[in-house]
Amino acid sequence: MKVQSIAGLLPWSFFFAVFGLLPLLAALALSFYDMNPLRPDLTHWIGAGNYTRAVQSPAFWHALRTTAIFVVGTLPMTLTLAYLVAALLGRLRRGEALFRAAIFFPATLSMVVIALVFKSLYAEQGLLNGWLEAAGLPPVHWLQDPRLALPSIMLMDVWSSVGYYAILILAARKTLPIEQLEAARLEGMRAREIERRIVLPHVRPVILFVILLNTIRSFQIFIEVFVLTRGGPLESTLTLVYHLYERAFYHFEMGYACALAYILLFIVGLILFAQRRLGARPA
Amino acid sequence: MGSRGHSVVTLAVAAALALGGCGQGGTGKRAVVFWQFSPLTAIQPILDRFHREHPDIEVQVEQLTWQSGREKMVAAIAAGRPPDLAELGSTFIPGLVADSTLIDLTDSIPDLKPLLRGWSAAEYRGRAYAIPWMLGTRAMYVNTDLLRRAGLSPEHPPLTWAEFANAVERIDALGGGVKGFGMNSGEREVLFKKFMPFAWGNGGDILDSTLTRSVVSSPQNIEALRYYLTLKPHSLLDRQEMLDEAFTRGRVGFAISGPWMLRKLPTSAPELHFVVTLMPRPTARNGTPASFAGAEALGIFRGSKEKAAALTLARFLVKEQNAMPLYVATGNAFPAAAMAEQDTYFVSHPRDKVFVEQLRTAVAPPVHPKWVEIEEILNAELEEAIYGKKSPEEALRSADARIGALLAARP
Repeated sequence: MKVQSIAGLLPWSFFFAVFGLLPLLAALALSFYDMNPLRPDLTHWIGAGNYTRAVQSPAFWHALRTTAIFVVGTLPMTLTLAYLVAALLGRLRRGEALFRAAIFFPATLSMVVIALVFKSLYAEQGLLNGWLEAAGLPPVHWLQDPRLALPSIMLMDVWSSVGYYAILILAARKTLPIEQLEAARLEGMRAREIERRIVLPHVRPVILFVILLNTIRSFQIFIEVFVLTRGGPLESTLTLVYHLYERAFYHFEMGYACALAYILLFIVGLILFAQRRLGARPA
Repeated sequence: MGSRGHSVVTLAVAAALALGGCGQGGTGKRAVVFWQFSPLTAIQPILDRFHREHPDIEVQVEQLTWQSGREKMVAAIAAGRPPDLAELGSTFIPGLVADSTLIDLTDSIPDLKPLLRGWSAAEYRGRAYAIPWMLGTRAMYVNTDLLRRAGLSPEHPPLTWAEFANAVERIDALGGGVKGFGMNSGEREVLFKKFMPFAWGNGGDILDSTLTRSVVSSPQNIEALRYYLTLKPHSLLDRQEMLDEAFTRGRVGFAISGPWMLRKLPTSAPELHFVVTLMPRPTARNGTPASFAGAEALGIFRGSKEKAAALTLARFLVKEQNAMPLYVATGNAFPAAAMAEQDTYFVSHPRDKVFVEQLRTAVAPPVHPKWVEIEEILNAELEEAIYGKKSPEEALRSADARIGALLAARP
């Protein structure tokens, strides 16, 4: 049985090693080299040079700040909306399956497709401005105004991810024994109190999981920026991953890009560690 | 590089190598791996003809996408397995030349020099590192219905800066969501391509003829940027594809775009009445109707194992009779072969002919080892000017100082 289990894991282990672990270790090693992919023969060791360069670079701090704003801006909104949607879905008497499918629908779409649709919606003469115009309101420069470009992307991100997280929270709600809820009602607890004292503690592990997942995903934001704004206008949407992509593929600074990736990994790891410590506290 | 460095690089590209095998053909023929951007349906008939003429060479063609082709090429070069021959955009060539990734073809192709145009995008310090294949440029699309509604003659679209600014303002004054001009914004990477035609037309440039000094803050450039920004209040500011779409829907009077629109408009907007003209020039007597020239050139990589066969293929592809069918099939860029201008296709397609004429006064950005950085600085400062963060003088002087410092710095 044990041999069979190990054999079952082999295909996954092989692919993880080749396409996950190996590139991860190679990127770590590369982050200590000056490496131009067009001239691999000139690659040379520079120690922590790429890391010191990053912390001295205004572009890095700007990209980190933009990424942090994105994470801090989207996480509470996504979580709150996902929780509310899950609560509403849980109370539906009829058509729950239909609403569940509709809410989950964005999660089935590729982010590139979503971004392309939003690109048309956010266009200066796109659908959203068409509605505003019809209502007699001035157009909004969704992606052209440096103050609005990042919030517009955040809005799209929230829309695309709320459904998925709502379904996760809804699944956790469904595992709550009905007897427990009925007993609470018999004891005279009000709906809000039941939600706060019984439902919320019950779904707390899933909420922590959602926070974890969304934090990782938000720090990695790339496709949205690549499709919609390419870091502009005026670098208002220059996120860390987009910044490292530019350094790697436009400036051919692969070592530096790897260092940026590892700094990002370290920051995400640190935040997740803090979240886990906080989440481990008794409710 | 030490052995440790070698193993790191090998590790980094291991995944790419695992899937991206580009081996020799098993038929005894010489196999040439050719990466290019046209749909296979467009390029395959041309390659079939090549196979008939050169039965000893087998071409393994692969289509790249504009979104990821550059990354794929960089990964392949890093892995030491580049294609033998590749289609290279003019803004990618300087970086490859700077890093000695392409072989110097100068002495192998002296006969091609007078037959092709667009060498400025493929040469550095008088040496050719690629062969111009297809040339792209942009011209002015004019909505003649809007011209008429604005009280202007559709038969005489604007040719000079003053006429153009006047027409843009009058079309904008029509209201109803219609704007005079489609001005690129929100996509930093294309800004210099849209502004520099006005500067080049006015006698301005980016670097001097020796490519050692920035001339970005020249009076000609400042005058051109001042003029360009006068169009802004009457313009729709958006990304290129959105501007193309706005033109298609009849919402902008003028849009600078490429020949690809010629194929789209008859089907996507059959009711739209439009003409294509050369870019406006400063005055009827001064300056030129300049535009941006982009070249698709064929380069042979240093790591290629079939350099001779790759050169044979490149020589075949750039011939007028082989490049012209590619234009007819794709409608994106014109053959670099000078003879193509005489092709009967352009007699029956007068709008396409405008682009061919535009190519005569189109300018390619300089092939310079630090072009990526120069382009980045230029685009960033132009964006500051377009968003009103800096005056035209401030933006161009700042660009000049930054590019000057970059050129002065050691490579």
